[in-house]
Amino acid sequence: MSVGTPAAAPGSATTAETGQDAAVAALRRARAARTRRRLGVVGVVLAAAVGFLLYKALTSGIVYFKTAAQAVAARASLGNATFQMEGVVVPHSLRSHAGVQDFVVCSGPVRVPVHNVGVPPQLFEPGVAVVLVGHFVGSSNLFSSDEILVKHSSAYVAAHPGRVQQGDGQTC
Amino acid sequence: MSVASHPVEAVALTGRALAPARGARIASACGLVGLVGVVLTVWLGLWVTPPDAYMGNLVRLLYIHPSMAWDAFLAYGVSFLASAAYLWPRTRDLRLDRVAGASAEAGVVFTGITLVTGSLWGRPTWGVWWTWDPLLTTTALLFVLYLGYLALRRLPGEPEVRARRSAIAALVAFIDVPIVYFSVSWWRSLHQGPTIQPGRSEVHGSMAWTLLLSFVAFSLVYVWMLAERYRLAGLQARDEVEGLADALAERRAEAGMSRAGEAS
Repeated sequence: MSVGTPAAAPGSATTAETGQDAAVAALRRARAARTRRRLGVVGVVLAAAVGFLLYKALTSGIVYFKTAAQAVAARASLGNATFQMEGVVVPHSLRSHAGVQDFVVCSGPVRVPVHNVGVPPQLFEPGVAVVLVGHFVGSSNLFSSDEILVKHSSAYVAAHPGRVQQGDGQTC
Repeated sequence: MSVASHPVEAVALTGRALAPARGARIASACGLVGLVGVVLTVWLGLWVTPPDAYMGNLVRLLYIHPSMAWDAFLAYGVSFLASAAYLWPRTRDLRLDRVAGASAEAGVVFTGITLVTGSLWGRPTWGVWWTWDPLLTTTALLFVLYLGYLALRRLPGEPEVRARRSAIAALVAFIDVPIVYFSVSWWRSLHQGPTIQPGRSEVHGSMAWTLLLSFVAFSLVYVWMLAERYRLAGLQARDEVEGLADALAERRAEAGMSRAGEAS
C-alpha cells in the first residue's frame, strides 16, 4: 500500500505533495482496516457454519438411516435409542385411527411392526418406502416412531388411474 | 498500489474486458434465447405436461429444481477451471480471476435457489422442510463454502495477491462439488439418486423433454449472467484503478497550484 511512492514529477516532490499523498494513503489504510474488520466477523460466522455443517455431515449424514433389516440385526446394541429406520410399508398392513398409524415395514425378508403417533406426509401410503424416526419398545421388535419421511424414486411417470408406484422401486 | 504506478499494466488488466463487440452480442443472444426457453419451460411445465402418477402436481418442481442444481455445478466448474488457469503461470491473467469470481457468484445464487426449491418440494413429499440427509447437508456446506469464497474476494489487497488467494480458495471449495454429486450413491439418503444419468432416464414423454429444455434454458441464462457479471467486474477494476489515479492527479494539481501561489 505505498500510494505515496509514485513521485510522478521527479525532483518536484515538495512537503505539500508528500502530505497530500500521505493523506490519501491514510484514508485508504483506514478504509482497508474497516473492510478487514467487517469481513473478519463474516469470516467467523461462516467458519462456524462450515464447522457445524461438517459435524452434521459426519454424524447424521454418513449414516442417515439403518434399513429395517440392519436395525433388527443390531437390535441388542440399539436398545431403546432413537435412530432413523428405513423400510417399505407392507401393503394392507396399515391401520390408522385418530393420529395413530399401525403398520409393518419390510426390508428384504425382515418385517418390523411400527406404531406411529403423528400426522404422516400426504404421500404416505402402503407400498412406499419410508424413513421413520423413533426407537424400539422395551425388548420387543416393535418400533415406536413420531415422524414419518416418505422416500420417492427418481422415476417420473404420467398419471394413469390404477397404476401402482413403489417408492424407490423396492418391494416386499 | 503498484497498479497505480504502472499505467500500462492498468490498461492491460482492464482494456479488453471493456471492448463490448462480439462477446457481448453472443452473451445477449444467450440471455434472450435462455429467457425464451425459460418462458417455454414454465408454459410446458405448468400447463402442458401431465401430473405425475405418484406425486401429482408436485412433479412440476422437476422443471426448476434439478436445473438449478446443475447450473450451480456448472458455475462452480467454470470457477474451478478459471482459478486453476490463473494459478498456472503461463495462463496467469487477472481476467481469469474475474471470470472465477463472477461464476462463483452466479453459482451461489443457483445453490440458494436449489436449497429453497428443494425445501419447498421436500415439505409436501418427504414431510419435512429440511433433514440432515448427506446430499442436503453437503449442499448446504457448498453454499456456505462459496459464500466464504465471495467474502474472501472482498478482502483488500493488491489485485494479484487477492487473485491468488481467491484461486486457491476456489480450488479448495470445489472439493465439495463431487462429494455433493456422489453423496446419494456413497451414503444412504432420503433424496433419490440423480434423475439424469448417462444412458438412463426414468422420466417419461413430455416430462423428459420439458426437463431437458429447462437444463438448456437455465444454462443459457447462466452464460448470460456470467458475461454480464464479468463485464461489471472489469468496470469495477477499472474504476478502482482510475479512481485512485484521478484522486492522485487531483491532489497533485492542488499541490501544484498552492506551490505556484507561493512562488508568485
